[in-house]
Amino acid sequence: MDILNSLWAGFEVALRAPNLAACFFGVFVGTLIGVLPGIGPVTAMALLMPVTLSVAPETGIIMMAGIYYGSMYGGSTASILVNIPGEAASVVTCLDGHQMARQGRAGPALGMAALASFIAGTFAIVAMMLVAPTLAQWAIAFGPAEYFSLMVLGLTLLSFLTQGSLAKALLMACLGVVLGLIGTDVINGNQRLTFGRLELLDGVSIVPVVMGLFGVAEILANLEHTLRREVVHARIGGLWPSLADWAASRWAIARGTLLGFFVGTLPGGGAVIASFASYALEKKLSKTPERFGNGAIEGVAGPEAANNSAAGGAFIPLLTLGIPPNVIMALLLGAFVVHGIQPGPLLMVNKPDVFWGVIASMYIGNVMLLVLNMPLIGMWVQVLKVPYRVLFPLILLFCIVGVFAANAAVFDVFVMMLFGVLGYLFRKFGYEPAPLVLAFVLGPMLENNLRKALILSQGSFATFVERPISAACLALALAALAAPLLPALGRRRKAVALERG
Amino acid sequence: MKALGRALAALGLALACAAHAQDNFPSKPISLIVPWPAGGSTDIVLRGMAQVAEKHLGQPIVIDNKGGAGGTLGPAAMAANAKPDGYTIAQIPITVFRYPYMKERSVTWDPLKDFTYIIHLTGYTFGITTGATSPFKTWQDVVAYAKANPGKVTYGTPGAGTSLHIGMEMIADASGIKLTQVPMKGAAETNAAVLGGHTMLQADSSAWRPLVDAGKLRLLALWTAERSRFWPQVPTLKDLGYPFVFDSPFGIAGPKGMDPKVTAKLHDAFKKALEDKGVLELMDKFVMVPRYAGTQAYTAMVKELCDQERAGLMKLGLAK
Repeated sequence: MDILNSLWAGFEVALRAPNLAACFFGVFVGTLIGVLPGIGPVTAMALLMPVTLSVAPETGIIMMAGIYYGSMYGGSTASILVNIPGEAASVVTCLDGHQMARQGRAGPALGMAALASFIAGTFAIVAMMLVAPTLAQWAIAFGPAEYFSLMVLGLTLLSFLTQGSLAKALLMACLGVVLGLIGTDVINGNQRLTFGRLELLDGVSIVPVVMGLFGVAEILANLEHTLRREVVHARIGGLWPSLADWAASRWAIARGTLLGFFVGTLPGGGAVIASFASYALEKKLSKTPERFGNGAIEGVAGPEAANNSAAGGAFIPLLTLGIPPNVIMALLLGAFVVHGIQPGPLLMVNKPDVFWGVIASMYIGNVMLLVLNMPLIGMWVQVLKVPYRVLFPLILLFCIVGVFAANAAVFDVFVMMLFGVLGYLFRKFGYEPAPLVLAFVLGPMLENNLRKALILSQGSFATFVERPISAACLALALAALAAPLLPALGRRRKAVALERG
Repeated sequence: MKALGRALAALGLALACAAHAQDNFPSKPISLIVPWPAGGSTDIVLRGMAQVAEKHLGQPIVIDNKGGAGGTLGPAAMAANAKPDGYTIAQIPITVFRYPYMKERSVTWDPLKDFTYIIHLTGYTFGITTGATSPFKTWQDVVAYAKANPGKVTYGTPGAGTSLHIGMEMIADASGIKLTQVPMKGAAETNAAVLGGHTMLQADSSAWRPLVDAGKLRLLALWTAERSRFWPQVPTLKDLGYPFVFDSPFGIAGPKGMDPKVTAKLHDAFKKALEDKGVLELMDKFVMVPRYAGTQAYTAMVKELCDQERAGLMKLGLAK
């Protein structure tokens, strides 16, 4: 009952006119920057942070939060319609979402993305309310050994993700790991692969790499064709997914929601990893994995659910422990502190109106987003329907502005251009960029946690099997690797193959 | 003779113009390079100071966030490219004095020659914490345990070669103990590691504040010059008998060769900002204590800081 009372009080805060306006402005801007490639939530939040200084703390934070989860909705639209991820967490949505659009099923893809996002987003808020304190405790039980084993498990599951040649995928993954090594080694402070350039001391940041590989490369690849208007000629049609679509997607949504929520609460986790992991999981569990990459709707539903519930889950360590699990939450922490509020164990006690007001605003924001993204989807499609001769330079402009604004570094723009050309060549020669991006993100975390775990265990590898959570993760990874070798499963695969034959 | 006279006249005119420009300073917006991303503690505090300083200068101060390379990219770019006219100034973090002496690192600036130091402002509050249920009640407990178990005491830092790493190793060296560093990426990780009992101690800037206030972490020692009014019972390193203060102090500088009149105007404006009530409240939120030093004193301080950094790096084997 306490929770209901608090929530009621929270709604009273969230429904005040300035807060409602802030919530709408936040989710609107979020959707817009999500749709527009190049500008991600980090950039938008950093740029708008000074604006929040002049309003009440809860109003500013409601707006900042709205931008974040709003961008998770909007990101999928650009992925599906033009195969350019609006933000990093929508990379996976390109794989099947755009294929669906090419097959004339853009409507159900967009609809499913919005509905899966809504379901997962709502679940994440309820879960956040109920289990926040418990889960926060659980998250800190994860030490370096646990993270290492979790990453191993993640990478093992994800190795099923790639389509096409395994050798090429592995090559791309290796390249990603090497790119991730660039910069100052966190453990001993030495420089790796920086060639004496100050700009490389902190490594290559992910934004220009992703924007180059996906955004710029897409434009280059499209320039080859006589301007086929994929955006426009794919009719959007009815947005509501069919019963068959729901049947295919409902478990994907459920699993994606739970997985995303869990990954989101982990420090270092986040929407990007959650969406990749959900896609890999769905492909692995599917009876017809060959449909993935060719327009499988569960390949849209799962990751979209996962990235939205991860966005919600990420608030838990911030609000309950004051520990931001990713860059975006770190920015939000900055927003709290500017207003003289310290997120942490005392937030709920000291500032209940802020805590519950922000949570209640998320319910309202999710409903607003559903309206913005279902009935008003046409508006966002119009944004993307601009002719290519206008759209391409615009996208390039947004990519450049977005990459530049993130760190105000011209160097990053060059990095993006370089990866744009590389991405174009990868595409020409049939190399998938997704494993590269993933290895780029996970590789350094894997190395870092391995080394930290070994420092803590004074060099003993036994730590990975002695700690229960770590051991469980490794056992699962081993099982995933061994599964195809087991006779029973082998038979099932044969049966599937026969059916197809 | 005529030619010489003309040249002298031209020179005189040029000098007059230059003098005029200094008298008019500032006649256009000033760009303050903050070498950190927008929204961080340093950015927020400097934005607050700039708001006050621009009132006294009569021209807006534009914040230019130029992050990267541990906060050195912005000052390095300024030293290399900006004119010493006072319209481009930068925050100077401690790394500007550290990186030139680090091995395998070639930098483009000389901290003793390439800047005109304007005003020293403040520093951060660093401290050592441990979990609330930890057996360490005081810093002396840690020293006693480490003496009995060399290398067993682990501590998290926000990265190798940071002020926290260097500081901890100097403290360990002075106490004759051996500690094991576990470098993390930032305060979020060190907080989680010490809360979860993965490391025994945490050495970090004031990001532990909410957890300390909530009784989840125990603050064992502060590295500031004076005790903090927020936790008056917590000893400083000096109280514990160590001759150290580590607070990564920072101030503002321009490119080398600035006119003293321009420097003085900027100094006065930022000094007023440092005395402003609103700014002081903002600094309180991040537990930053004002540490004013004027142009002369700051310039002298830089030499000392460079020596101190070099000595710290030598201890760690990270020096050139």
